[in-house]
Amino acid sequence: MSAPALADALAAIVGREHVAGSATELSAAAVDGVTPRWRVQPSSVDEVSRIVKLAASEGLVVAPRGSGSALHLGMPPARVDFALDLSRLTGIMEYIPADMVATVQAGVRLDVLGRELGKHGQMLALDPYGGRSRTVGGVIASGASGQRRFRYGTGRDLLLGARFVQADGTVTWGGSKVVKSVTGYDVPKLLAGSLGTLGVIVEATLRLHPVQPASGSWLFAFTSRDTAGSFVAAVLASTLEPDRIAWLNAGALVRAGMDSSDAGVAVSVGSVAEAVSAQGAALASMASSQGGKASVLDEGFWSGLGGALAGPIAVKLTSEIRRLPFWAGELERVFARRGLSPAMVGEAGNGVLHAAAEGSVPPGDWAKEIVSPLRDGLSAEGGSLVVERAPVELKRAADVWGPIPEPALAVMKRLKAEFDPHGTLNPGRFVGGL
Amino acid sequence: MALSPAFLAELERIVGARGVVSTPEGRLAYECDMHTFYKGAPDFVVLPETTQQVVELVRLCRREHVAVVPRGSGTGLIGGAMAPVGGVMVSMTRMNRILDLDFPNRSATVQPGLINLWLSQATREHGYYFAPDPSSQMVSSIGGNASTNAGGPHCLKYGITVNHVLGLEVVTGAGELLRVGGKAQDAPGYDLTGALVGGEGTLGLLTAITVRLLHVPAGVKTLLASFSAIDDASEAVSAIVGAGIIPAALEMIDETFVRAINEGVGAGYPKGAGAVLLIELDGPAAEIEAQAGRIVQICHDHAALEIRVAQDDTERALLWKGRKEAAGAVGRMSPTWILQDAVVPRSRLPEIMREVQAIGARHRLVIANVFHAGDGNLHPMILYDDRVPGELERAQEANDELLRACLAMGGSVTGEHGVGLDKAWSMPLQFGDADLSFMARFRRVFDPDGIMNPGKLLPSHPACGEGFRPAAPRLPAGTWV
Repeated sequence: MSAPALADALAAIVGREHVAGSATELSAAAVDGVTPRWRVQPSSVDEVSRIVKLAASEGLVVAPRGSGSALHLGMPPARVDFALDLSRLTGIMEYIPADMVATVQAGVRLDVLGRELGKHGQMLALDPYGGRSRTVGGVIASGASGQRRFRYGTGRDLLLGARFVQADGTVTWGGSKVVKSVTGYDVPKLLAGSLGTLGVIVEATLRLHPVQPASGSWLFAFTSRDTAGSFVAAVLASTLEPDRIAWLNAGALVRAGMDSSDAGVAVSVGSVAEAVSAQGAALASMASSQGGKASVLDEGFWSGLGGALAGPIAVKLTSEIRRLPFWAGELERVFARRGLSPAMVGEAGNGVLHAAAEGSVPPGDWAKEIVSPLRDGLSAEGGSLVVERAPVELKRAADVWGPIPEPALAVMKRLKAEFDPHGTLNPGRFVGGL
Repeated sequence: MALSPAFLAELERIVGARGVVSTPEGRLAYECDMHTFYKGAPDFVVLPETTQQVVELVRLCRREHVAVVPRGSGTGLIGGAMAPVGGVMVSMTRMNRILDLDFPNRSATVQPGLINLWLSQATREHGYYFAPDPSSQMVSSIGGNASTNAGGPHCLKYGITVNHVLGLEVVTGAGELLRVGGKAQDAPGYDLTGALVGGEGTLGLLTAITVRLLHVPAGVKTLLASFSAIDDASEAVSAIVGAGIIPAALEMIDETFVRAINEGVGAGYPKGAGAVLLIELDGPAAEIEAQAGRIVQICHDHAALEIRVAQDDTERALLWKGRKEAAGAVGRMSPTWILQDAVVPRSRLPEIMREVQAIGARHRLVIANVFHAGDGNLHPMILYDDRVPGELERAQEANDELLRACLAMGGSVTGEHGVGLDKAWSMPLQFGDADLSFMARFRRVFDPDGIMNPGKLLPSHPACGEGFRPAAPRLPAGTWV
């Protein structure tokens, strides 16, 4: 089909005003510098299905997007034909507060949904960094998580059901609309974090939680990473039940507007008021035995963590929980070799560390002196290093996902070959070149 | 050479002669799980001791096109661990060791045959436990729990098994030894760990499971509230959850069960109650005190007859004993029953309970209920006497109506028991063709030749009828039964 004919075919599906083709509009939708041929904004599941079907029949490439805030995740695409913009899919389809379940379309923003749920004292416990304006579909497909995961889990735990469009345009449903179901394979697990490479999530049924009647947040400042690490270990070994346990290095503390110290641990507790103050007191006493200084934080501290992780380079490191302080030190050390001084925020109870840095580094050095040494050490312990954001030349120098061991990679390749045999959905951007 | 003496010799070479059961009476012990309605003995039972033996077994069966049926403790309720077309049953009971306890990382790695409760017993003195607690936990295996994605009363607060599995070692139906996930979270790539849990042995055999351990909560408070009518109890459930309280467990026991449990187990539940709620709170002391106060208030507002609070561990254990042994107690009321595991959205609980009673009345059958009210997971037991002509058929009709009623309310076919053979044909009631086809293709990625637990989980398997030789006679003539 010729380019004008394709434009007409897209216009016939979504209306001409929802097909963007001008150079300015398209460069704004570029993925790692690769400009899509069209940016198309469907308003219904059926329209998404028809667009994907059109792409499949024409051998074209579709890159789904929500708010566009995570387009830097993944390997640079070879080409993008349709930037499939789901931000018009904004329906809250079903929300029965007594069930604590909501079914929403993929383009619903977290802040919009949060306001609706808040009217009933409920919330979706997904808090990706810098992310209230992000969409539900994008957050789930990109596997983004935040500090609340310590208590509530991640997208995989909260996604009960999903409607998705397969690579041939077939609209498919997996999972259920109730909080507990084991009927058939857990298809939503397969979609969460799959970067749209097996199907485009268009509707999500989500498990919700009650907003706690009271909450408190504290920052405990320490004079070394090790003492901060000992404090985290002590909290994890106690019967305290925090919502969030964030570890921050000096760079992140300063960027988050806190006084500088070598390491800080921010903790929040949500419960009834009596339990919040009791746990706050217990935390303060545990911290002071490690020489930590306590100060009270407001809720704004948590939403500001995304800002502390800004910068052209961002990585996510995962390790065993108890090894996180060690790996934070290693990361800081290898970054420093190239003059990078990272701001680091850890999900300390989950063994997840986010680091972001300003500055630049030659691609060869990036691969050989920073990424490889960290990955070599981490992979021996089952950990990983994902480059979540970096200039294209760095992404090309070292696979952003890192190696996937066999035969897991072989299985993933078979999954991709089964569900997207012609490479319609985000080809080449996921692990192992999938 | 399938199922020939040479095949038997191959099995014996892999697991040793003592690791193979081939006598008719030996195989008979493996012909069903706890859903005794479905029977099918395997041609051979093998009991491997190592992962490597499992790999060799699967590769042999794949080469010979022989069905492989995994089995843990055999306590499933869905006709899962039985062999409808014969083949080799792989029993994991000899692979029952704890491989690693790692408290700083809040995790444990175990072999699949380890009994669920043993893990919590081994970790509790260190202050940790394994949260999934199916009622069978004193006998069911963690491999079986992960394969069926088992639930339990405490799933309301803590989630089902999949939320507690961090990593797996699996021998796929393709004969690969696959390791996914582990102590470090968020491994890049597809979440194979999450997608394999609940596979019911149709994707592969689990040979090691890394699970999350939770810290034992600071305090526990167990309450029992009785009501004159099940309607009041159902409304109280909605009100408790509506108040933003997620108890660790919130269980409903109806009048029929209260009677049976009191007679059979001696739990001392309030006599004459129309419904009993068993409510457990856990967490920091101040939190559970405040929540307990609020719950007592809510129960009073919903016309509770009596509210008891367990004063110590002994009282708490007694309150739970009745609930955990409910299925056994029902034997006092009826020789046979059909157990349903459907789910409804929590808000439809009062409505579905009225419907359950109406269905029972319509079919002149007693339907007894003990279930996880907090998450809407029903367990109606349809009591019938198979010696009375026509009762089984009426019970099956009632069961079917009940399932459809739950689905009409937006529910699900199974909340925690799984699909197995029993509910495979109910799948199309909940899923469309495209959805089922997606699952069938997913299955084929792991099991290209259709050897893994055929006939289970999906209504039909693409490989069925081609991958298999004609089924051998289930039991040779002359077997004593």
